[in-house]
Amino acid sequence: MRGPLGIFSRVGGRQDLGRGAAFWVAFAIVALGLVAFPLFGSAFYLSNLANFFVYVPMGLGLCLLWGYGGILSFGQASFFGISGYVYGIVAQNLSLTPGASLLGVAAAILATVIVAALFGYFVFYGQVSAWIIPLLTLVLSLILETFMAQTAGYQWRIGHVLLGGYNGMTGIPSIQVGPLEFGGASIALYLLTVIAMLLGYLGLRLLVNSHFGYVVVGVRDDVERTRMLGYNVARMQVTVFALAAGLAGLSGVLYVSWGNYINPSSMGLYAATLPVIWTAVGGRSSLIAVTLSTVALKWLADSLAVRGGEYAFLIMGALLLATMLFFPAGIVVSLNRLWRRARRQAP
Amino acid sequence: MNVPYIVSLAYQYADNLAFLLLAALGLMIILGVIDVINLAHGELIMLGAYTTTLAYHRAHLPLPACVLLSFIGVGAFGMLLERTVIRRFYRDKLGALVATWGISLLLSQGMLLFLGPSLIAVPLPEWTLSYAGYSFGGYRLLLFGASILVVLLAWWIFYRTKFGVRTRATMQNPAMAQALGVDTRRIYLYTFAAGSALAGLTGGLYAPTTTIVPLMGTTFVDVAFITVVVGGGANPILGALTSSALLASISAPLSSAFGTFLGRIGLLLTALVIIRFLPRGLSGYFQDLQRRRMAGARS
Amino acid sequence: MTTDEKKFDVCVPTDAADASGTGGSSAGLTRRDLIKAAAVTGAGVLAAPALLRAQAAGGAASIKFGLLEDRSGNFAIFGLNKWHGTQLAIKEINDGWTLDGGVQGPGGPGVHAKVAAKPPTTNIKATVDNGGAPARDDTVWTEPAEYLLKSGDKGVLGRQIELLAPDPQSDNTQFQTLARRLILDDKVDVIMAGFASAEREAIRPIMDQNKMLYFYNNQYEGGVADKNTFCTGAVPEQQIVPVMQYMIKNFGPRIYTLAADYNFGQLSAAWTRAMAPLLNAEVIGEEFIPLSVSQFSSSIAKIQEAKPSWLMMYITGQNHSNFYPQANAAGLKFPMGSSINIAQGYEHRRFAPPALNRFHVTASYMEEIPTPRNKLFVKRWRAMFADEPYLAMEGHSAYVATHLYAKAVRLAGTTDKATVVKALESGLGVEAPAGWVFMDPATHHLSQYIRLARCDEKHNITFMTEWPHIEPWWTRRLGVNLARTAEYKQYIPDEDPFFKMFQKKKG
Repeated sequence: MRGPLGIFSRVGGRQDLGRGAAFWVAFAIVALGLVAFPLFGSAFYLSNLANFFVYVPMGLGLCLLWGYGGILSFGQASFFGISGYVYGIVAQNLSLTPGASLLGVAAAILATVIVAALFGYFVFYGQVSAWIIPLLTLVLSLILETFMAQTAGYQWRIGHVLLGGYNGMTGIPSIQVGPLEFGGASIALYLLTVIAMLLGYLGLRLLVNSHFGYVVVGVRDDVERTRMLGYNVARMQVTVFALAAGLAGLSGVLYVSWGNYINPSSMGLYAATLPVIWTAVGGRSSLIAVTLSTVALKWLADSLAVRGGEYAFLIMGALLLATMLFFPAGIVVSLNRLWRRARRQAP
Repeated sequence: MNVPYIVSLAYQYADNLAFLLLAALGLMIILGVIDVINLAHGELIMLGAYTTTLAYHRAHLPLPACVLLSFIGVGAFGMLLERTVIRRFYRDKLGALVATWGISLLLSQGMLLFLGPSLIAVPLPEWTLSYAGYSFGGYRLLLFGASILVVLLAWWIFYRTKFGVRTRATMQNPAMAQALGVDTRRIYLYTFAAGSALAGLTGGLYAPTTTIVPLMGTTFVDVAFITVVVGGGANPILGALTSSALLASISAPLSSAFGTFLGRIGLLLTALVIIRFLPRGLSGYFQDLQRRRMAGARS
Repeated sequence: MTTDEKKFDVCVPTDAADASGTGGSSAGLTRRDLIKAAAVTGAGVLAAPALLRAQAAGGAASIKFGLLEDRSGNFAIFGLNKWHGTQLAIKEINDGWTLDGGVQGPGGPGVHAKVAAKPPTTNIKATVDNGGAPARDDTVWTEPAEYLLKSGDKGVLGRQIELLAPDPQSDNTQFQTLARRLILDDKVDVIMAGFASAEREAIRPIMDQNKMLYFYNNQYEGGVADKNTFCTGAVPEQQIVPVMQYMIKNFGPRIYTLAADYNFGQLSAAWTRAMAPLLNAEVIGEEFIPLSVSQFSSSIAKIQEAKPSWLMMYITGQNHSNFYPQANAAGLKFPMGSSINIAQGYEHRRFAPPALNRFHVTASYMEEIPTPRNKLFVKRWRAMFADEPYLAMEGHSAYVATHLYAKAVRLAGTTDKATVVKALESGLGVEAPAGWVFMDPATHHLSQYIRLARCDEKHNITFMTEWPHIEPWWTRRLGVNLARTAEYKQYIPDEDPFFKMFQKKKG
């Protein structure tokens, strides 16, 4: 397992669906197709697809946390929002300095990870029972949303940037590297989101198939036993929690670069539940399933908006309930199981 | 300190306490007995409010009868929910959380499509008491009375009836209770129905004081969640009572002095602090205390 | 999407002269008709080269009109109404009608003003002596009932207006996605969008990036100065100052403000705080309430302790509307003034009386306005949307904005956005159903016809007084002149040095 070959065998390890040559060939074709898409896609489709892909790191983070780590969190949206706001504050304040936006990205993700680690310290070192974490992360979302919503006045500003209250923070610059600007309808941003999605997926796949990943799964399956084996369970959980938050933070930064705007409802109740829906519907035990379902459900919500928007929430709720009742492992994962069983039975 | 101000503060305290207690008790009983968090609890309260409002305007029933109808109707709906959905998640608490969240989306959005953005509310009974320049809503005092009555009733069922004994046995050790002939599934069914009926009652009682909109449930559940987290599931009645008593004593003076926003923040921070030091909530702490005392008495 | 589009054959105007005959005396009639004839000719002359140009370009292609209004989610109750207003206006435009009015030079009512039959000088004395509400004859202007004219054009420039209206679901990200879709994919000629200010701020940068002509048809906290944006709803200087004047005069100088804890509430409260010393009043208490709060016992107790002369209400949303029944039940009997409730969310129709007793609001439009013109408007609206629960002021703004856009395109002779912006900056005034309104070239906001409505214990509406022409003067005072200098920002009251000056003087 040493050297580049070792990495390959690890990425292809047991802790996810999709193994063998056929899967990797298909993966490579899709990846190439996504990278080549700007050659023939219109600006609008690129902007739209980028908007779907922006959320994939956040979904992957929850997949790691819930599916592999056994910790359900409604806090992903909070971290998404914190990151977006921090980026906005830093990048706007330093807008005249070259490279300010990269500094903003670093500060945003760092801030997110620190907040998550602090919150995780309180929760995981207190060894609260599993159901408290989703409730407390919901409470965290509510604190942050309520707090940000009332920061409308002139007194709420950092440097010369107004926090903007309920209306949100406007005029956030897109990420800029040299002459390349990653704006909402640009090819550059589209490619950046594709890369973030692919690297996020491959990186996490590598992680869950590493020693660390196996311990994380061990904590999920039996906390006491893992503790007996000499692992610091609480530290492990805080690490995974912070990592998931960092991924949500990455999504947050990409989102503000796409929309140049963020507001408190991006961390509100509905925003907080979306990652949970993506993860549950796709199948929380598989990174590729969550990647697919995040993009598919964002696309579904978008097309529902265009026709018959009244039914969007209803359909999301029905989808979630039906998944939990009939495909508790998730739709993509269950379909994969069915397919494999069918293939095994065929001669 | 002048007396009228203290009376006004006491009134606000009672008002806060009743709201927290009624919003959280059903949720807590379900958590304590079945060990499941029902994220659709707010939508059950919404159903209760809709039932009362529709019964009042369409069937022209008197308000108490409407509230009773909410209690029974939402209880029956809870029974249906337990049979079809909750039953599958007895051992999967996170699964139950997510599934009930799906139910909550379905109920609130379904209601929006079915009955539109809002209903005309039931007129609020206009009794006012005046004291030294302050006036107090009589219906609010009645709500406080109702919340105390509900707790007493729950306590009586829990500790003074055969059903209560079986329920407590199931709570402590389901396998053992089952071995001794307790039909735990029936206990779970009735408990979930009772928790839902309490949600229906809350919705019915608060229907005249709020706007009747499909998303009204969320205004109840955020404080209910905090109450539940602080109270813990070890003993639902004691937990709900102590937790809402503590939280009301924080939110009433805070919001009176600094405004509603800081009252809210105070509640949320209290929850975080309590959970750090008492991970099983107030009722878990009292349980441990009791056990320790008993152990001490034995030795 | 077409479920609400019922047949629209009932009450289109028959003849301009016939309709205006319902208005006043015969002397006024001839005079008005003369003016009207002039207006039509004027419009015809302006439109003629445009028509030629459009035909030369093979102008059969429709004008694409993008609309983003919430039809589901939190703000559906307002968005549906605005969607209907736009549909009604587009239907009228496509059938060959236009609002009476046209270019009349900036700064005043100009040539299209309606002059009363009797000179006002003889009547003003009687009005002053008698007191009370003015009779119609005593006003300087009278208005004919009919507000539509034949445009001599099916659609605009011979092109039909095609409405593209996806549902943004009260979700800011959906607003951004759909705005990009309308601009990049559908290539629309204009976008009208948004209820909440947050929705507007989410898409305004996208509009500016793409130089898209954007209308925001909503009452709001004011201050937007954006070359590409036109605002047709009322702003604080048009609503807050008049309602404060009325309330202080009638109920006293001690004001207690109860406001929603977000931009609209905070900025409106800042206006009240700044204006109070100028009107010889003072704000004795102020409380900001988070949008998620629905229980008000502590707020009610605080108000009872403060004993104000009246309450200034800037609470908003479903949760906050619980205040009214709760306050009523607790015996809170203070008069209330506001710039939003009732006229926007028709609380007086949704709540059981007497929750909104003694409520006063300044509005740019309400369904109950008793003029013959408004009755005609309501009749036409209900012929198209029979089930409309209430014609609220934002629906009216959306209707007027759509007609204004059509007028500007006709004047510009093209849908090219920069040229249409110039046409909108030419000083367009129109006879809206509420009364005469005027697009101010400097600020891109409408001067409004403001009325003060009072709600009684049975929730009946009475109009106590009216201000026929209030200009959007605030950003102009800050030096905004978009016709000359392009800007792309929103001003807030803290940036206005005058506000602080007057507050200091008082303290």
